Amino acid sequence: MLLTLGLASPAAAQPPARPPARPAPRRVLPPLPPEPPISFRPFVSGAENAFAAVETFKTVFGKSYGPLFGGGLQVAFHGKYYVEVGASRFNQTGQRAFRQNGQSFGLGIPLTATITPLEITAGYRFRPRRVPRLRPYLGAGLTSYAYDERSDFDEPGEGLKTRHAGLVGVGGLEFRIHKYVGISADAAVAHVTGILGQSGISKDAGESDLGGIAARFRLIIGR
Amino acid sequence: MVIATCLVAAGLVLDVSGQTAVGVRRIVEAGLSAVEAGVIAGESHTPGSREALKRARLADALSQDRVGRSGIRYASGRVIVKFRDQIAGGSQLEAIRSASPSGALAPRAPHADFDIVTIDPVEDPEEVARALGQEPAVEYAQVVHRIHALFVPNDPLYASAQWNLPMINLEKAWDIQPQAGSSITVAVLDTGIAYKNITLDVTLKSFRDDEGVLYPALGPQSIPYSAAPQLVGSGHSSRIVAPHDFIWNDDSPLDFDGHGTHVSGTIGQLTNDGVGTAGVAFNVKLMPVKVLASMWDVIFGAARSEGGSDDQIARGIRYAADNGAKILNMSLGGSGPPNCATAPNNPDCSPVIEAALRYAVGKGCFVVVAGGNEFEDTVPPYGKNPTSVIAEIASRIKGVVSVAAVDPAKGHAYYSSTGSYIEIAAPGGSQRGFSSSGLVRQQTFDFDRTDTFLLPPSQYHPPRFDIFGYVGYIGTSMATPHVAGVAAMLMQQGVTDPAAIEDLLERTAVDLGAPGRDDTFGFGLVDARAALRGLGLAK
Repeated sequence: MLLTLGLASPAAAQPPARPPARPAPRRVLPPLPPEPPISFRPFVSGAENAFAAVETFKTVFGKSYGPLFGGGLQVAFHGKYYVEVGASRFNQTGQRAFRQNGQSFGLGIPLTATITPLEITAGYRFRPRRVPRLRPYLGAGLTSYAYDERSDFDEPGEGLKTRHAGLVGVGGLEFRIHKYVGISADAAVAHVTGILGQSGISKDAGESDLGGIAARFRLIIGR
Repeated sequence: MVIATCLVAAGLVLDVSGQTAVGVRRIVEAGLSAVEAGVIAGESHTPGSREALKRARLADALSQDRVGRSGIRYASGRVIVKFRDQIAGGSQLEAIRSASPSGALAPRAPHADFDIVTIDPVEDPEEVARALGQEPAVEYAQVVHRIHALFVPNDPLYASAQWNLPMINLEKAWDIQPQAGSSITVAVLDTGIAYKNITLDVTLKSFRDDEGVLYPALGPQSIPYSAAPQLVGSGHSSRIVAPHDFIWNDDSPLDFDGHGTHVSGTIGQLTNDGVGTAGVAFNVKLMPVKVLASMWDVIFGAARSEGGSDDQIARGIRYAADNGAKILNMSLGGSGPPNCATAPNNPDCSPVIEAALRYAVGKGCFVVVAGGNEFEDTVPPYGKNPTSVIAEIASRIKGVVSVAAVDPAKGHAYYSSTGSYIEIAAPGGSQRGFSSSGLVRQQTFDFDRTDTFLLPPSQYHPPRFDIFGYVGYIGTSMATPHVAGVAAMLMQQGVTDPAAIEDLLERTAVDLGAPGRDDTFGFGLVDARAALRGLGLAK
């Protein structure tokens, strides 16, 4: 009788079903507004460059890497394609030297080298759906290195001032902090011949590439 | 003599030295400063002159050397031997007896890694050396060659400016390095240096010249001797380091010739003192190592012949390396075969000097060797322009360079030997086409006061070594110290490896003659400024 009575209860008499449990929603940054068809994005940059001419730079400066500081302007199209013009500068003082059988001898005569790369690159900025504020990018282009070498006791014509073109490739990641501000970190590989390797220590060392690999950090203003 | 006695009584004889088997001298460490005679003009040593020929004949007459089948001069009565390592004394004696019935092993001299076997003077050293060289216990054996200073002394009629120093860009090198080698010691292996004021007590015995003319004995003499003021002036005596004399076997390498003093002047004459001539590395320390005997050393009884011998030079090289010298200047040489590299057992080669040079380089020394003055000479059996043996050895050792001479027009100096062993060139001077203004001028003895053995017997009198003048010489002997001085500055600048110094000097030399390296100028004229300046990254 009790079983029959239980089985005979109508459904309208039970409490309503609770929706199934779901994980708590993640807090997300508000999505950025869509990018304009064309945007101008100036930037400043700092880089640590590892020069390809390792022995040459070590002989004169004691190390084969050094800082470059600069800036430029990037023009982006719909936030995807970009063209960029940038310039930076390396300036360091070492000493004139001599190298023989892998051994270096400093001569104590100050030598200052200034390298001013000028770059024009084009590339593509990816837009991952899951993390829209992160914008990986790849690019390539041309670079023109201005090279200036001067030493104490130089006579007219003994310094060197020249410029040669080369190639540059870059890959990195930009993080959009704000609608108008982003920071990026990338690696740029440059290959520039025609300056080193003709004479001096670079010829003894058999190194002709003034380029290298730079780890760059940038602050970008603009959309 | 009375003065000397008083000085002895006063206890001022501080150095009784130089007693050899036949030569005795007493050095009284008290002497007067030099007299400066200014520029020495007038004929004295013109090549081919009556005086120069008499000097050469007298040297031959006084010499006790033998002349071998090849025409090369060498000492009699001894042979240089290098026994193989770990050969017992008994085996050594056996080898000696096999080669010579009179042979005996002399006590090993200091600063030598070789031995001397004494033999009867009538025996042929060439035969003995050949026989010893074939013994299994022997690494090499050679005769004791006679080595000579390489210059053609000359005395211009007119003293001119030192064209040689601006030619190698020294003013600009001094801008880069005003210290001019102040921390470097340069050993001068030569006839000695006039470096101290003393009085020399010697007995002058009689001798006969080349014509048999008897020069009378002058008996005991007190000879004045002074330091060259422009080398060891007031307050500069400390620049003389570890002096040693391998002719008299003592520590007073006094120059009785003038050659060593002149060479030392090119290396390090006091400069910018408003007096006289300048030197290349004018603040270096100098180590006089006397390995060449002068005529007076022969007349005083300390040497059998003018010049030096292989064993003395080898010991001198080792001595310099062991006592702190970093640059060795060797303005000396002798002729020999061109193929010592492939036939080192040729008795006219010098393995003992080669071993000593390698030892010195191994100790961080850079050595500069004169290239030879025999371009126009014929030396049987080697013909015209014979190889200079030590210069040829230099070309095979990194860290040792052989030096040719250029004239004031940067042309080939007429006497400068040529060959595949010439590595670099420097000013050596020439009077042909330039007269007296083409000489290399430094302060040294007034020869009219020192070379009294060239006078007729009736006028022969004791020399005096206390009067100096600015004398012009020519020769690869004069070229060599230019390179030694630049090398001293390079070493002070930071290039401390001898092989690197050689490379840098050759890389920065001014190319002369045929493009690239050639047999006349080697890699070219040494350029002091370019060498000190080194290289930049790209230029």
